[in-house]
Parts: sequence; structure tokens; C-alpha cells
Amino acid sequence: MAAHWVITLGGAATVFVVLALFFFIFLEVYPLLQGAKVTKENTYTLQDKAISIGVDDHQEVAFAVYNNGNIEFISLSNGEVFKKYQIAGLNGSSVTHQDATNFPHKTNAQGNYITSVSQDRDRLALGTNDGRILTVSINFSESFDNEKRIILPEISEAETVIVNTEGIGLNSITSRGDESATVTAVHTEDGKLVLISSEVERTLFGEGERKEIKKDITDLVVQYSLNQITPPSQEGGGKLETGTMLVSHNPIHVTEQENKIEITSLALDLFMENLYVGTSSGELFHINVRDRSNPYLVEKVRVSDKAITALGFLLGDVSLVTGDAGGGVNVWMQVRDEMSSSGWALKKVHTLTSHNAKVIAVASSMRDKGFVTIATDGTIHLNHATSEQTLLNFETKSILTTLVFSPKANGILVTDSNNRLFQWIISNPHPETTLKTLFGPVWYEGYEKPEFIWQSTGGTDDFEPKLSLVPLIFGTIKGTVYALIIAVPIGILAALYTSQFLHNSLKIIKPVIEIMAALPSVILGFLAGLWLAPLLERIFPAIIIMPFFITLSIVIALVIWKILPVFGKGWYRYGTEALVLIPFLIGAVYVSLQLGGVFESVFLGGDYREWFSNILGLRYDQRNAVIVGIAMGFAVIPLIFTISEDAMSNVPNSLRSASLALGATPWQTAVRIVLPTASPGIFSAVMIGFGRAVGETMIVLMATGNTPIMDWNLFNGFRALSANIAVEIPEAPFGGTLYRVLFLAALLLFITTFVVNTLAEMVRQRMRLRYSKL
Amino acid sequence: MKKIFRTGNPYIWLTAGTLTVCLLMICGLIVLIMVNGFGIFWPRRIVQFTLQDGTVALGEIAKRESIPHQKNAYRTKLKVGNRDVYGMDFRWIDNADIVSQDYPVHVLAFERREWGNMYGFLKGLRQDDGVKPLSLKGMVPLLKESQNLYKKIRYIEKKEIGDISYRMEKSRLELKRLMLLRPSEKVQKKVSVVRTSMDNLEKTYREKEDALAGLYSKAREKEVVVLLADGKEKILPVFQIIRIYAPNEMGILAKMGFYTTKFWEFIWEEPREANTEGGVFPAIFGTVMMVLIMSIAVVPLGVLTAVYLKEYASDNFIARLVRISVSNLAGVPSIVFGVFGLGFFIYFIGGGVDRLFFSEALPTPTFGTGGILWASLTLALMTVPVVVVATEEGLSAVPMSIREGSYALGATKIETLWKVVIPQATPGILTGTILAMARAAGEVAPLMITGVVKLAPSLPIDSHFPYIHLERKFMHLGFHIYDVGFQSPNVEAAIPMVYTTTLVLLFTVLVLNLTAIVVRNKLKRWYSTGAM
Repeated sequence: MAAHWVITLGGAATVFVVLALFFFIFLEVYPLLQGAKVTKENTYTLQDKAISIGVDDHQEVAFAVYNNGNIEFISLSNGEVFKKYQIAGLNGSSVTHQDATNFPHKTNAQGNYITSVSQDRDRLALGTNDGRILTVSINFSESFDNEKRIILPEISEAETVIVNTEGIGLNSITSRGDESATVTAVHTEDGKLVLISSEVERTLFGEGERKEIKKDITDLVVQYSLNQITPPSQEGGGKLETGTMLVSHNPIHVTEQENKIEITSLALDLFMENLYVGTSSGELFHINVRDRSNPYLVEKVRVSDKAITALGFLLGDVSLVTGDAGGGVNVWMQVRDEMSSSGWALKKVHTLTSHNAKVIAVASSMRDKGFVTIATDGTIHLNHATSEQTLLNFETKSILTTLVFSPKANGILVTDSNNRLFQWIISNPHPETTLKTLFGPVWYEGYEKPEFIWQSTGGTDDFEPKLSLVPLIFGTIKGTVYALIIAVPIGILAALYTSQFLHNSLKIIKPVIEIMAALPSVILGFLAGLWLAPLLERIFPAIIIMPFFITLSIVIALVIWKILPVFGKGWYRYGTEALVLIPFLIGAVYVSLQLGGVFESVFLGGDYREWFSNILGLRYDQRNAVIVGIAMGFAVIPLIFTISEDAMSNVPNSLRSASLALGATPWQTAVRIVLPTASPGIFSAVMIGFGRAVGETMIVLMATGNTPIMDWNLFNGFRALSANIAVEIPEAPFGGTLYRVLFLAALLLFITTFVVNTLAEMVRQRMRLRYSKL
Repeated sequence: MKKIFRTGNPYIWLTAGTLTVCLLMICGLIVLIMVNGFGIFWPRRIVQFTLQDGTVALGEIAKRESIPHQKNAYRTKLKVGNRDVYGMDFRWIDNADIVSQDYPVHVLAFERREWGNMYGFLKGLRQDDGVKPLSLKGMVPLLKESQNLYKKIRYIEKKEIGDISYRMEKSRLELKRLMLLRPSEKVQKKVSVVRTSMDNLEKTYREKEDALAGLYSKAREKEVVVLLADGKEKILPVFQIIRIYAPNEMGILAKMGFYTTKFWEFIWEEPREANTEGGVFPAIFGTVMMVLIMSIAVVPLGVLTAVYLKEYASDNFIARLVRISVSNLAGVPSIVFGVFGLGFFIYFIGGGVDRLFFSEALPTPTFGTGGILWASLTLALMTVPVVVVATEEGLSAVPMSIREGSYALGATKIETLWKVVIPQATPGILTGTILAMARAAGEVAPLMITGVVKLAPSLPIDSHFPYIHLERKFMHLGFHIYDVGFQSPNVEAAIPMVYTTTLVLLFTVLVLNLTAIVVRNKLKRWYSTGAM
């Protein structure tokens, strides 16, 4: 009895294997479609209302900047404040701007406060109420003491910049900088927009003079808003001057307008070229500040009906996130547009879930295209631009003030008006995949429209992974279709001939073709890629005319066979056609090779590749779908042949005899009786051939160029799911998004072949049943 | 005409044509591989072209073809060798440029350890005061000497230094393991023992290195001067030469001898120059070993399943499920098995084994990375249906009467199965195993992600305990074809090698398949008559 169970279990092992295949692959895929999770949540109390916060790489230390110039460092393990710092530049004059010597600065020595903050990596640009910009850098250094990590904050202040000597406060500020240059744009309380840049001019002899430019660019924004000019500036600078005539230089004039436009948000990109200004009217102004002394308005777009209250760039500074007073969150970017004068236009590419209240801050991830938005009603959204999904959504039920996204994109910190600091540690392993990004068109950065793209890795850190499986599925289908176009007719017709007409003594041909099935696909792939592809490129016109000559040679063979006297043919009268044809077919191939050149010069204008590209608009790649079709057809033919030959041979003899007895010719019997009766078997043969072609890896890997393009062109390559797995999985980090997407590709292949094979198996079972009844 | 069509004969001829196309394709393919694969070791004559501009080119003719879009214009692809001098192995020459063509008798081909072949005339042995003339015969003892030197160097490098570094690695891991333990006197003692043995190893390593350096300087002593086609002289260390031959002087027998030697070298030697020259022995070894491990795994599973289906299962739900599973396993693409092998065997099981037993080596994985064991198991899953189908056939062939006889003598069902039915079904099991081996030998895609490499530093079997290293990566004939043909830096020069590897693989697979067919037919007959 025990033995019985052992054998039953052993027998069931194959079921376990199939189930394991499915479930294990599925388990690896499953996390792809899961959202983000909050793994830990902490709340701390702050001294005061923070106007800016930050956190280190490991989320162990946070800092809060207060408007009185105090900076506090809080340990996130116990909530203790372990370090305090007072910004010296705020009230004192430790670092003064060189202009200060020329212009006496009206400032009260005490009681200044910070009104606005811009964070540029570890550099903070702080705008004050008396019209100055303070620059503070906060770095975290790591040291190890007995394997325990100690994070030490380091603070340094750079020189102060004076925006206005009148002491008018700064409403908002945006600043970017590197070793040699800093560019800052500020919006002052009196409604002015000022661009301040400081650059070290490089000369032949190393570093030269520091060049400072301060430029009031309020006009660029105000003028167009007041006049509601819809088309963007035609010639940039030129229009500027005409504009200045329309609107007075007096800023008070602007603020006193009835229909007044207020600047509500600012953002400068890291290239220090593009300044975006959001206004209360919901318009976004794109100002090019590449030429610091002569910035010009590139474009004005209506982004929303409500005021734009938050702006922020995504990693790579190509996409711009806009948040408006109504809670709407959108992603915009520069897209090629021939209609606009600059050749580019701002377009809305992604729309995210809206908040119900005014969006107040945007913080983007430094790892991917993810970002966090907060709104005044206390809601916090974790979004991902590419996949257009809101992965996390939680709220504090209090008015939020500041926001920071941790450098490793695994934590969100916010403060609220009740001086609380919230920390959420999040796990967000696969934000870039949704069913839509995997199977739908997605508008990627740098593209003109939503597209299906597979490009899993890129050269830079800010690369946006493009993981659409559609081009790969397309490639698989394309390869399969071309292979089946070749294999199905040849396989079925050869099987029909073998089973119905071939002489019994020649049945040895059958195992020969079966051995063809045993040919390793790597051999077929190698020959296809390195022998057939270059050969076909040379003799392609001959290939075009070859089917014609082959048919012709068959006709000739038939005629000769008819004319020849019966004498000598003996019992080889029937069933040896296949052997007789061998010399004729070889002759046909030879003739078409000889005439290929003539055909090319007469009909294809001397060079078939030129003809293809000029007349048909097709590009000829050396490794193309024709090659794959032939090579994979070669692999599929024996499968289709064997199974359908079996099915046709197994058609009960009584049926054939009856048909022949009624006077039908052998051909009529074959086509009208045998084929329909065996059709389920032929169907399952085609299905199994299809399954083989779908999963074939080495041939498509070696015989195509592996370019993931979507084009039915016969002469282009493609990239199939299977080959893509083989190419990319060795480099995919274990557990990463790419790894799981490749598992998904494998799962798709598995499911496809599972369905096809089960179907074929069921059809065959039924056929067996039917035959047994006949 | 209409009458002819009504008989259907033209259509029959058309279908016959498709069969002929199939036959021609197979035969053409096999002939293509044979011609290209067998041809490459045949010593070809070295031709000397004098060109219109007065220069001379020396080499083997690789190909002649017509120039596209020009009437009656041909060009020749000449393998000029001397890659270190010309930078390229091949050169295209327009036939119109050729003034004269001859086959100098004394021209030599030098097969070198690096940089491919060199073609030229032997001028003599370089000495301090000039060149001492040397005949080809005079080279023989020199070559023998350098051959011995090479063997000695290889022995020290591969065997002795390999041994030392293997033991060093073991000691290092042992030390790391001890460090992880709770420090105690016993551990301290062990640590010091390991340290001293490491120091000793270090010392022997130094000695071996010195010996090697001595051998290498000896190897550099003798150099010959070769006169190239363009009149330049090139100094070639004798140590660099593997063999010298004069193809234009060789008779047919000499050529056959040369051919045999080269083919022997191809089968039994290790690859050289990024797999583009030398032999494929490690790939053959890896393929065979992988196939053997696979068959150990697949046979029990396949036979058990077949016995269940044929002898135990009534037509119930489980049996139907098993049937569908078997037919599906046969249809699942091989790459999917590879992906499963990577995720399940390598990362899940291998990673677990590493954490349990090889934690001292972490983060360097031992079993948690591709290896011959995982590749074999992956392929075993893939080939289960082949064994199942063939075994079922074998079991069906066992006559009911034999079973009934066994029962009549009082044997239980399991006794009958074990002692009567399965021995009778051996041909079927054997056929299935051989077919599974053939399938596995030719499969590449799943191996690419479960442990095949282009160049394995050591074979999975060697003289170090425990002798069989199942965690090692290995080389494989099929992957060798893909790698050399598609990823080697010098594809043009490598293609002949790929053809020969293809031939070996094709031969293996065809022989296995034919054996399976023969075994199926012969043994079945033999057993059935023997049993009567």
C-alpha cells in the first residue's frame, strides 16, 4: 500500500512541477502591481513652526529651519534635539555682500526673520523680510564607531546677497547653484520678480572674476498677463522692448491693478536655464534665463483655472510638477512642437489624483520619477509620474506647512502648523509599473506623444525606465506569424503527401524529417544569423523569383513525367514524385540564382535595397523577419509535419476506401475526406507549432537584430519576449523591477503556451474519441 | 488541360514539392555544416599574389566572389594572418589587381599561441651577432624543447599554483568562519593553526612564482627570424610557436596526418585566444557532465510518472491532470524553465543553502549563483515529458500475460512491477533517457541564465576534495556556438571554429537520436522474444 502511495505521489510530481512553475513565477511577478506601504510612522514635537525641513540619507537625523534663523537637528530614533545652530547672517553682518559698501543697507540689526526657502540639494537659499538672501549648506557626514553609524551634521554659511536696499521682504525664492555659478529668482513683497546670478567667468588662466547680475524681470510676466496675449513671444527680446512701452516700469502700478496678477510660485531647473513662474491666474510662464542679462519669455501656458501654488521638478529636471489652489496635480514637460517658434512647447503629460485643497508643496524623489505632494487639508500623496499612479495617500488632519522626501525615496517627513513633525518610512519597490505602463502607451520624457517603448536601462541616473511589454509581444507575434506562414503550408502539405501518396518503400523519409525536429535551435540560429542573413542580403532578388521557378520546375517535371513512356517506371509509377522532383528543384534554385541579377536590374532598378527604400519605403536590415521566418519555420515544420501526418494516417481506411470506391480520385479523397476528418489533428499540430514558435529563444536571439521596434516590415528586425529575457535577465538585479518584469514576460509565455497546449491536447483527445466511433 | 487538373495530379505534384523542399533543406543544412566543419583543418596551400602596385601578399584563399553590381569582376578574400603586423586577419583583393599568382614551395605557416597564424619564410635563428640559417628540420628539436617548457609552465600555473590558491581560499574562508564564532581559547588555537598554514602556502607560492619567472625568461631566449611577404623581417620567439608546417610541400598523406592531429587537438585541447582557436574540450566535458547529472535527476521522476499513469491510475481526475501536466511541460518554452531555474533553484534554494552552510563566504555566493547542478536540474524538469512518453510506450509493450503470470505465481503488484514489468520496459526507459539527453545537449536558452559561461576557469571535476564541484559554472557546446559566433571580438576569424563546434554538437545530437531509435527497435524485439 505504501508503494502505491509513493508511485501516486511520484506521478503527481509532474502536476506539482507545473503548479510550481506557475506559482513561483507568479509570486515573483505579484509585487509589481502592489502599491507602496508605510512600514513605520513617527511623530515628534518641534519648538516652533518650521519653514523648512530636511533629512539625511539614512533617515536618522532631521533638521528644521525656523523663521527666526534657528536650525535644530533632531535625532529620529528618540526625537531629541542634539544640535542647534543660529544663522549668523540673518541679524549680524558676518558675511556681507560686496554691494553693501556702495549701497547703505536699511536694515534693523535685530528681529529679522526668514520669509521663504528654496532647497537645492544640500544648499538652502533663505529669503528674509529685509530683502536679503542667505545661503546655508547643511551636510551630513557619516562615521563609524564600533560598527555603529554616527551621523554628524555640518553647517556652513556662504555670503549674503542683497536683493533690494529698501528692505522689502522676499515672498518666494528659487535658487540653483554649482561650484561656479548660482542663479536665484525671487519674488518680492512689492510684486517684483528679480533674477540674481553670480558666475565665475572662466578664462584661459583658470578662474577669473566673479560676475554678478541682478535683473528685474517682472515685466516679462506682468506685461503678457495684463494684455492677455495668447501666442507666445515671437522674437523673444525684441518683443520685450515693445512690452515695456505698454506697461510702466513702476511696480506699484502693477500691484494696484484691479485685475492683478500675482506670482504664486517659482521653479528654476538645475541647468539654470529655465525659470518657471506660476501665477494666481493659473498661468505658467516659461522664461529662458540662459543669458543672465537678457532673459526672455519663451512661452506662456494656462495650466489651471486656479492659482498655481506649487512647482517642482522631477529627477532630471525635465518634467515639471504643478500643483494648484484647487488641489490639481499635473506633470508638464517640453515637447517638440513644430507649431511653436522655439520648436518646443509645454504640454501636460500626466495627471495625478487631485487633492481637495490647495497644494502647498512638491518634493521629488532622487531615485526615480516619483514625487510627494501635500495640501492644506493635511493630505499627503505619494505619486509616480511615469505610471501616473498615486501609490500612497494619507492625512494628518492638520494644516501642513513643509515637506521633505528622503534622499533614498524611502521616507516622507512633513510638519504641520501645530509644530509637529511626522515621519513615515515607506517601502515603494516598484512604483514605475502598473498595467498601463506595462501594456499601454505612456508619454515618456523626451517623446512627442504617448508611445510603447521598451528600454530598460539607460546611461544616466535620472533615466526613466521604459518597460512597455507591447513591443516585445509584438516582436513575438511578428516572428511567430512569419514562421507559421512558412511552416504551416509546407508542413501540412508535406504531411498530406507523405500520408496519402508517398510510396510505402519511401516511408523512411518520415524519420528523417523527425530528426529535423531534434536539431538544436542554436545551430539553426547560428546558421540563420551568420550564414543565411549575409547570403540572403546578397541574393535577395533571386529569393523573390525562386517560388515562381520552383512552381515552374514542378510543372515541367509533371509534363516530362507524363510524356515519358510508362515503360521502365514499373511499380514506381506512383508515390515517387518527391524523389523525381529533387533534380528539378535544385535546377530551379540554380536558375533563380543565375537570373536574380537580371531580375534585379530589370525590375528593381539595379539595386533592390534602394528600390525598397524608394518605392516601398522599407529599410532592409541584414538580420530581419524573413530570416527568422525561414529559420524558425525550419524548427516548426517537423512538429507540424509529424503531428498532422499522424492525424492523417490515422483517418480510418474505411472512409478512404469508400470514397475511392465511389469514383473519387485520390486527390479528391485526400482533400475532401482525409483533410476534413483529420482537421482537429491538423489544428492541434498548428497550435503546438505556434507554441514552439512563441517560446523559441535562440533563433530569434541570433537571427534578429533584437531591436524592440514595432513595425510589420518584413525586412526589419524585432525583439521577442523570449530573447529579451535571455538578454536582460543576467544583468537584472535580484528582486528589482526589471527582474520582476522579465518574470512577467516569462509568465506571459507560460500562460500562452499553457492555453495553446491544453487546447491542442483537448482537441486531440476528442479526435481520438471520434475515430474510435468511426 | 482541364482533364489533367481534374485528376488532381498537378496538386499531388505540388504537395510532393513541399516534401522535396523539406528534404532538400535538411540535406542542404547537414551538407553545409559538414563541408564547413570538416574543411577547416585541411591545410590549404599558401598563395602568393603579386599586385599591380608591386606589393606582394601571402596567405590562404578564404573565398572568391563576384563584386556586386559589376560585370565579370571578382574579388578574393585572402587570409593573410599576421594579425600583430597587419591588424586584420583577412584582406579583400580585386582580381583585376593581381598580376601574378604562384605557390612558393618553402613558404611556412606558423601556428602561434597568440595573434593567430603567421605566414612567411623562415630565415633563421636569431643570435647576438646576426642570423644563423636554419632549416625546417632544424626547428624540430627547438620546437620540442619549447613544447616541454610550455608543458612545465602550464603544470606549475594550472596545477601547482591552482592548488595553492584553492587551499588559500579554503583557509581564508575557514579563518572568516572562526572569526564569526565566539572567541575562546580553542578558537584562538585554530586560528593560529590556520594562519601558519596560510603563511606556509604563501611561501610555497613565492617559490613557485620564482620558478615560473625563471622558466619564462628561459622561454624568451630563443627567437627565430621570419621573412614576411612584404620583405619585412619579424622576430618570433620559438616559445610562441605551436607548430610549423609547409602546406605547399605537403603530400596528401602528410595533409591527412596534419588533419588528424588538428582534429584531435580540437577535441581534446583547451580553447585559446578567446575561444576562437584551440579546442573545445571543456565545452564537451561540461555538456556531457551536465547531461549525465540531468539524466540522474530526470529518470526517476519520469519513470515514476509513467508507471503511475500506465499501471496505477484509473481514468480519474488526477490521472487526467497528470496527463495535461505532462503535455504542458513538453510545450512550455525552454526559456521559461530557465527563468524558473534562476528564481527557484538559484536564488531561492541556492541562496538558502548558502545562508545555512556557506555563510562564511557571503556575500560571495557559492550555490546562490548559476552552476552545473542548477542547470542540470532545470533541464531535468524540461525533459521529464520525453522520458514519460517513451517509458509509457515501453510499459505498453510489456504483454499483459507476463503480468498475469507473475500474479499467478503469487507476486504482489509491487513485486511484479519491480521485478517483471520494469525490467521488461527497460528499452523504453533507455530510449526516453537517450532522447532526453539529446534534447538537453542541444538546449542553450535556459542554460544561459542558469550557469553557463564563455570560459570556465576550471572543470567541475578536479583533484580537490570533494572532486565533483556541482556549484561550478561550466562551458557548453551550444553556448560556445552562440558566444563565439555572436559575441567574440573577431567573428570573421572565429566562424570556421563555430562550424566545427556546430558539427560536433550536431553529431552528438544525431547520434543520440539515432541510438534511441535503434535501441527502441532492437531491444524491444530482443526483450519480447527473450521473454516468450
